[in-house]
Parts: sequence; structure tokens; C-alpha cells
Amino acid sequence: MKIIYSHLKTFLPNLNVTPQKLRDDITMIGHFTNFYEEIEGEIVFDLDIKINRGDCLGYYGLARDLSVLYNIPLIIPETNLNSSNNNLPITVTSPDVTRVMCVKISNLKISPSPDWLVKFTKIHGVNSVNNIVDLTNYIMFMYGIPNHAFDATICGDHIIWETNNNKTKEFTTLDGTVLKLSSQNLVISNPSEVLSTDLVGGKKSGTYDNTTDIIIEVAIYNRVRIRLDSKELKTITEASTRLEKDLDPETIPLAFNELASQIIKLSGGHINSKTYDYYPNPISVPTIKYDFNSASQISGINISADFAKKTLTNLGCVIARNNNNSDEAISLVTPPPIRKDITIPEDLSEEIIRFYGYNNIPTNQPVTYKKTNNITPKILYLIEKTKDELVSQGYDEVITWPLIETPVDPKTVIRTENSINAEVIYLRQSLIPSLKNQLDQYSRYKLPNPKFFEIGKIYYQENGKYIEKYALGTYDGQEFKETILDDLVETLHATSLPYIPKVINNSAIELTSQIITLDANVNFTSPQDPLKLIEKYSAKINKNILWSMEITDIFENKYTFRVNYYNCDDKTAKKIHLSTFNLT
Amino acid sequence: MDLNKIKTDYNEKINKAKNSAKLELIRIELLGRNGLINKLFTEIKTAPNPKEYGQQLNSLKNELENIIKEKSNNTINVDSKIENCKLKIVNSFGLPKVGHLHPITITERQLNEVFRKLGFSIYNSPEIVTNEYNFLRLNVPQNHPAMDMQDTIYIKQPQCLLRTQTSTIESYLLQQQSKNLPIRAAFPGCVYRNEKVNRSNHFVFHQYQAVVVDKGVTMKDLIGTMDLMFKTLYGPSVVVRYRCKYYPEVEPGVGPDMQCFNCKGKGCVLCKYAGWIEMGGSGMIHPKVLQMAGIDPKIYSGFAFGMGLDRWTMAENYITDIRTLMGGNLAYKPNEL
Ligand SMILES: [Zn+2]
Repeated sequence: MKIIYSHLKTFLPNLNVTPQKLRDDITMIGHFTNFYEEIEGEIVFDLDIKINRGDCLGYYGLARDLSVLYNIPLIIPETNLNSSNNNLPITVTSPDVTRVMCVKISNLKISPSPDWLVKFTKIHGVNSVNNIVDLTNYIMFMYGIPNHAFDATICGDHIIWETNNNKTKEFTTLDGTVLKLSSQNLVISNPSEVLSTDLVGGKKSGTYDNTTDIIIEVAIYNRVRIRLDSKELKTITEASTRLEKDLDPETIPLAFNELASQIIKLSGGHINSKTYDYYPNPISVPTIKYDFNSASQISGINISADFAKKTLTNLGCVIARNNNNSDEAISLVTPPPIRKDITIPEDLSEEIIRFYGYNNIPTNQPVTYKKTNNITPKILYLIEKTKDELVSQGYDEVITWPLIETPVDPKTVIRTENSINAEVIYLRQSLIPSLKNQLDQYSRYKLPNPKFFEIGKIYYQENGKYIEKYALGTYDGQEFKETILDDLVETLHATSLPYIPKVINNSAIELTSQIITLDANVNFTSPQDPLKLIEKYSAKINKNILWSMEITDIFENKYTFRVNYYNCDDKTAKKIHLSTFNLT
Repeated sequence: MDLNKIKTDYNEKINKAKNSAKLELIRIELLGRNGLINKLFTEIKTAPNPKEYGQQLNSLKNELENIIKEKSNNTINVDSKIENCKLKIVNSFGLPKVGHLHPITITERQLNEVFRKLGFSIYNSPEIVTNEYNFLRLNVPQNHPAMDMQDTIYIKQPQCLLRTQTSTIESYLLQQQSKNLPIRAAFPGCVYRNEKVNRSNHFVFHQYQAVVVDKGVTMKDLIGTMDLMFKTLYGPSVVVRYRCKYYPEVEPGVGPDMQCFNCKGKGCVLCKYAGWIEMGGSGMIHPKVLQMAGIDPKIYSGFAFGMGLDRWTMAENYITDIRTLMGGNLAYKPNEL
């Protein structure tokens, strides 16, 4: 999510750190921030807000975190709204509405937005429309809660939150997209038609140059409903990404008052109804029994109970003595309603530790050796041992794809249901077809003397069950063989295990060109040390093109060399070969 | 921006690239999805003469593509590390050839060795699993986005799937060993994601995870042990920071970020200008996860951390295409005498 530094100061007037420090600090407390950039004179951050922190999809939630981190006051802009006695005939029949607040504003004047607001919406990736639409977006980004302004002349005052129930089958959005609605979708209507879905507004939901009366609404719905609707209608909007999180109905009045007062400030209208507030089941926040030593116990470093209490208080938690417990350290903690992610003592500890600073935990104290029960399965020892044995016999290890194109036995094969790699949808039943492909690949590159193996799972169905077993597949230069290791391990004596494998280093290479094999016969006047010969001749060849060199034959004083070149063409290889061995 | 200057600058850069890995970095910086050229394309609208600018940009793109292509045909696909080490030549004369372990196996063994020395067992569990072991036992709620179709390869929806993470092995481990405490176990494993195969993505990945359950396990134990692992893999001078990060199966959660080796923290294309690269996930095992496994979180606590092995192994071997690592044109130069 984008955050403009100067607008963060709306809630944190005393915020005064360098953008670099702010970026690093925000990241350390849990909101990964790649970088900040300057856009039209504003410092802008890009934050990765995790799914558990829906509250931080608005400046307000993030500002709450930062006010604790920097120990500076959190300021909520003051609003002072007039009221009117006019009751709005709004109804809510959908069970998926958590809270909705509405009010009518009349005699306003639509106009282009002031520069600051145009810039704000632009940086947030939204087109500027007019002062009203831009303010609804502004409030969504500032408080993280979607909201809307309906033209009361077009829509009327009787707005209804209801389940579609086949009222409308096709719905055209403001931008002209046609959505096929199902009967479960949550919609916002008037008595004659659907005005908006929970995700996106319709043709009649806009505000226009001649709009004078609007009804503004700020609402939160059952997030599961939003998720289902968003998936079903294949619609993802700034609103839906917020509404599908756990948002705080207690924040609605703040956003609502700010929206109404900004609208009056910028468009000159006045409040023309009572505030409608539908909130049938006010949320209850769980109280958590908490031991203020917990943060120290979990982190492994000493964090004072004073720091812990101060942090939780600054976060908006209410701390009470636990009268049923004689232990002084145990308290009852009620988190602020906006922090729905805090439900258990460990959550409170995380809050304390992240504000104390993860970087205060030492990094040089790993666990030390401790004897515990060895629960390593036998099969893993067998695999390790087999690999080492085969490598010592000259086999190279390969890993091939577990999903393949063609089943060996269509009756027992396991098929994937939704693989987007449509050409490989079956789990392999044998390693051999994959190893054959590997051999084809090596042949294409003319790799000399391929000899290789794979140890991997094979899969099949048996009596309605899915079976997977470790198999060993080998190619010894002539034929392919396969052994099921899981079956073998049963017959092995326990005493031959366990086995700790060697760590071997080697360098794998991405084959990008064919390997070119050339021989050379060289006559000497006396017997030679073959190793010295190889050292001498290989030193003459650029290492980047030399794959291998060997002596394949010695007859009297005639030595036959076989050299494999790669990363070069035939011509180059021949030229180098001739000059290396002084052949003409 | 001055397109001519970009052309001369990059021409020089490309010419200086010593090997294909370096060349690939330049290609990504320039022509990748978030590369410079694409960035310039987004600026067309604001250019004084969009049409002309667009044409110029297109021809610049084509030219640079050609230069890179030509260079890559003439570029040696090895790195300075291999160049520097003394080439060992195979001699079939009387001595058998020695084979090679797959690079992933080597990385796994390096890690196994670290953990075996600390008294860890190595563990495994099935790859075809139910959503109970892959999600629910890891405290992933039923409607969590991770459960969405596009991420998971299903055998039979919604119950049966190919495990998407090594934490699934943790689900089995905790349940199977809940009466055999304390636990110290590490596990390499392949995991599956429903992703299109291309040079940087695959449907099968290799991950590594380590789990400790004991009395009084702390974040200090977790961070120290993870740091030891990173130092083993990346060398003693690696800089890793540990920060707050959310995963449903842990609380508190810890995210290790490695300082970008390319820019040393200044910010570059490789690290998306963060200066840091996210290395995986970890944290203290969520009390609900312990509870579901039958372990009393009031008595025992634990940590878990996991990381991907493919990227690291590719970098170590200068492999630029993940398809090479698995069933591709991966080969080994004969080495030992
Ligand atoms: Zn970097």
C-alpha cells in the first residue's frame, strides 16, 4: 500500500524521522517496505501489508503503530457536524452488514478537487473525478474503510442493503462492465433497482456536475461474503481488498465524521438528515489473561514489565487487575477493537517484542547440542547411502519432474485436477520415462558416457488410496533399471544403519552447447607419465571450452588422447585441437 | 530520459559482462518485467511527443535485445569461480570416474550436517496430503487466500492436494512425535505450487525446515540457530536482519532478510530497491498448532523456520534457469582424478 509521508502527519503531527529510517522501522515492526520515492514533491512509501493487519490498509492504522514505536501522540482530526431532524428511510435486510452509517448532505456544489486532493488520489493510483468522489477515496485510504456517496436526486433517500435474491441478474458497473449476479450477492438498492454491489458501484451510483444532494455511507460487511462475492464476480477493487479483511466497525464513526466534514468544507453543503447508524451486534473484544513476564520468556531477553505495560497501554489496550489471581504479574488485557488480530497472550507478547525491537535479540546464541531421540526414518539413511555408493561408482545424480505427460498405467495413475501446466498433469508412476528424457537431452548435447541415477517418489492409486514410494532409477550407459527403495528398506538389517553421508562439493554446469569430441595420436621417443601429459596439454587449452581430456590408449610410445570441447563451434574446436597437439 | 545515453551506457555494460550470469542480471535490469524499458514505456503518455517517443523506445528495445542476444551467443557460460580453480582432468586410464550429487542434494547435506551436529534428526512425510495437514493444523483458517485454487495443486478438491510447504512435514512431525518430546528435527523436502513453468518459476520447489519443541524455547534460540544456518550457507560475513513477519502457524513471527549481495544494501533491481532480500519465514510455533498436535503449549514451546533452496543453489552454481536444475540440461564436468 502507498503511504505519503506528509499525510501520515495528519495523525502524527510530531512525526519527524528521515524517510530512510521510517522505511527501515516500518519494516522491522512487520510492514515490509521496499523503498520510498519522490512523486510530485511528496515522499511516498510502498508497504506490504500482511493479511492479518487489515487495519493498516489505511493511514490511521499504521499511524497507531508508529505512535507507539516513536512514543508520539496520535491525533484524530476534530470534526463538528450540525444535525437535522429529518429521518432517512434506510433499511438493512442483509445479514451480512456489520455496520453502516449514513447521512444526507444537501445544497452542495460539485467542482474539481483542490490540487492537494488531486495529487493524493493520483499517487494512490486513482483518477481524480470531482471533489465528492475524490473525498470518498481519500477517506478510504486514510481510514482503510470503503465508503460511497450516492446522488440523492437520482437514487432517492430509500437505500436498502439486501441480499440480491435474483432481484437483478445482470448488473452494469459505473465503467460499463456487465456482472452476472447470483442470488447470494450482497447489493445496495433502492425500491426499484440495484444501485451497487458490495464491491463496485453501478451506472446510477455516481455523482455528476449537477449533483446537489448526496447520501454518504460508510459500511463494513461480513468479510466471508465479500470474499465469495469477489471470487464469484471476478472483481477485485480497492474496496474489496479492504472489506475482505477484518475491519473495525468502531472506526466507522471517525471515518464517517471526517468524510462528512471534509465534504462540507470542500463543497459547501449542509447536513440534511439525522445520522443513520445500523450496528445490530456491537463487537465484543475478548479479554486476555496476561502475564507481563511472558514477553521476556518468549523472546529470551529481559523486557521489563513496565515497558510491556506502557507499550500495551499506548496501543490502546485496557489493562485491569485480575482479582481472581493472587499473582501480581497476571492482568486482564483488553485490546483495542481495531486490532482484531490480537486474541491470545502470544499476540500481546509479539506486540511488546516488536516495539522493544527484534534487533535487540542477539543473533549469536544458537541452540547447543542436546541429545534427543533419533527419529530419522530408516529410508532416509538408505537413500543417503545409496546416493554415495552410486556416486562412487561414477553415476551422476539428476532430478526430474514429478509431474509428467503420459501415464504408464492409466488405471492406477494419480491425476491432478487443476494444474496450470496443462501438458503435465499426471504424477509419475515410474522414474524410467523421465530418465529416458534425460538421456535424450544428454544425447542432444553429445555428452560423453552418460551414466546417471535419480532417487525420487513414484505415485499410484491402490484400493482407493494414494500411494507414494521412494524409487531408485539408474542408467548405467546401457540400460535403465528401477528399484523401489521403500520395499527394500524393510528387508535391511537395522544394524547396517544409520549412516551419515559425506558432504561433497562439485560444480554443476548448465549445458548450452554440444560437446565436441576429438582424438589425437602423439608419438614420443620414450615412455611418458600420462598424468603429466594431461597436465601439459590441458594447460594449453582455454578452461572455458575444455570439458575433459583423457588418454584412451597407449601403444609402445604412441599416446591416444580424447578431448571433449564445449562452449565453442566445431571449427574453433578443431583449430585449437590441432595447435595443442602440434598436428597438421 | 535520454534514450541515446541509455543505449551507450548499456552497450558498454553489456560488452563488459564477463559471463552469462552477469549478462542475465543486465538483461533483467533492462528488459525484465520491472526493468528500465518497461518503466520508460509507462512514461510514454507524459512525453512531449508520445508517438515519436514510443517509436524511439521500441527501436531502442529491439537494438538492446539484439546486442544482448549477440553477446550471449559469444559469452562463456561459466563464472570466475570455476575459472580460478585448477581444472581437474579425468583420466579413464585405470581409474574409475567418480559421479556427482545433484546440487540440491549437496545444499541439503550441508544443512543436514549443521543440524545433525546440534542433535537434530532428519524427518520426512508424504507429499500427497489432506488440507488438514497442509492448512488447518498450521492454523490457516478455512477462507485464507493461501487455500485459493491458484496456489495449490489439487488431486481432489478440496480435500486432497500436493503439499505446498515443508511446514506440512511439521504438521506430521508434531502429531507423530507429540509423546516423544523434546523434538529436534530438520527436513528437506520438495513442495508444489500451481505456477507456470518458466525460467524463474516452477511447480516444484525445494525447501528446508527445522523445528525444535522443548521446555523454554525462545526467540533468541530461533534467531541464533537461523543465523548459524545462514552463516554456514553464505559465509561468516553475511548480514541478516530478523524482523516481525506474519505467518499463521507462528506467533510471534520472524522474517529473516539478507542484505542484498549485489548492492550491499543500497538498493538495486535484484532486491527491488529494498537493499534486503526476504529469505523465508519463521517464528515461535503457534500455541494452537501445538495444541492441535496434542502438545501442551503451557509446558512446551517451540520454533520453526523454513527457507527455499532453489535460488541459493542456482546462484551457487551460476545456473540462471530453474528448469536446468530439474530435469534440464544440467551436467557435470568430470572432476576427480
Ligand atoms: Zn540490491
